Amino acid sequence: MILRHIEKIPAGKLLRIELDVEDGILLHTLVRGDFFAHPEEDFEAAEAELSGIPSNRIVELATRAFSRPGLSIIGATAADIATALGRAIDEIQVP
Amino acid sequence: MKFRYLDTGAMPAALNMGIDEALLRAVSGRRSPPTLRLYRWEPSAVTIGYFQGMTEEVNLEACRRSGVDAVRRITGGGAVFHDAEITYSVVVPEGSPLAPHDILESYRLVCSGVIAGMTVLGIDAAFAPINDIVAQGRKISGNAQTRKLGCMLQHGTILLDVDVDRMFSLLLVPQEKLRGKLIDDVKERVTGLKSLLGLEIGYAETAAALKAGFSSAWSAELEPGELSMDELRTGNEIAAEKFGTDIWNLRR
Repeated sequence: MILRHIEKIPAGKLLRIELDVEDGILLHTLVRGDFFAHPEEDFEAAEAELSGIPSNRIVELATRAFSRPGLSIIGATAADIATALGRAIDEIQVP
Repeated sequence: MKFRYLDTGAMPAALNMGIDEALLRAVSGRRSPPTLRLYRWEPSAVTIGYFQGMTEEVNLEACRRSGVDAVRRITGGGAVFHDAEITYSVVVPEGSPLAPHDILESYRLVCSGVIAGMTVLGIDAAFAPINDIVAQGRKISGNAQTRKLGCMLQHGTILLDVDVDRMFSLLLVPQEKLRGKLIDDVKERVTGLKSLLGLEIGYAETAAALKAGFSSAWSAELEPGELSMDELRTGNEIAAEKFGTDIWNLRR
């Protein structure tokens, strides 16, 4: 199931989350938006790391993945991204 | 500090982005000196930030109908409609005065050149973090930076005139039902040099002001030059193999 969630970070940028979840497992995670991340490839490596994880651990694992040494994100923090990812998951649990 | 100064005039989007990346590679390989480039876009173009989704941000069918190019940048940031505007790019090795480790500080330093250029035109402009320049409280310039191959590349646009309705005929919005409000907001928050000055201003006049502004704000000696054969060839290759392809433009 594809989940989408949009969130504007106060004084920051827009995050557009797209997740594919099947049976509680994340198949892919895409964080699109008008933010900056340096190096860009490290941000994508963090996204890729979140494939195959249980969706109920996304906030914890995303916080870790996007806080990796050497990656700087401008317009959102690792915590902002992790929170937005968590909300994308939570939105489906509300009928 | 010494810079090569290039004015490459109008090019299609894929080649403009190809040339910027070729400059990055050439400066990185020490085949070219630190470089400031001014340019524009023909045909008009939409570029999106590295992390954006092309089909989420851009009405590709409308672009096709209007003959507008649509390309993904190597820099982050938002979608931009390049029409009546002037664009600059600057490439320097990391650690040089314009490219300290602190990226926000680096934006501020590079943008000080644009702001000084506005002063030359009689416009009082200011840096608005993260990556904008404003005048009379309205955005006149957006800027985007990346660090690669030991170099910093920043490019940015200065709006000469704004046609918000045309822009939004090409861009999609996050919530279609709020489209009208968003367009009204952008009309309030964004302006161009023409409105600020109350007169038409062209590319050449703005380029001259920017050149003077960059030179004074950066204490830089700008030496007029040309693209090297290597840069031109590499730029064309990158345009054909990357910025002109769906694989790159639709990748996220």
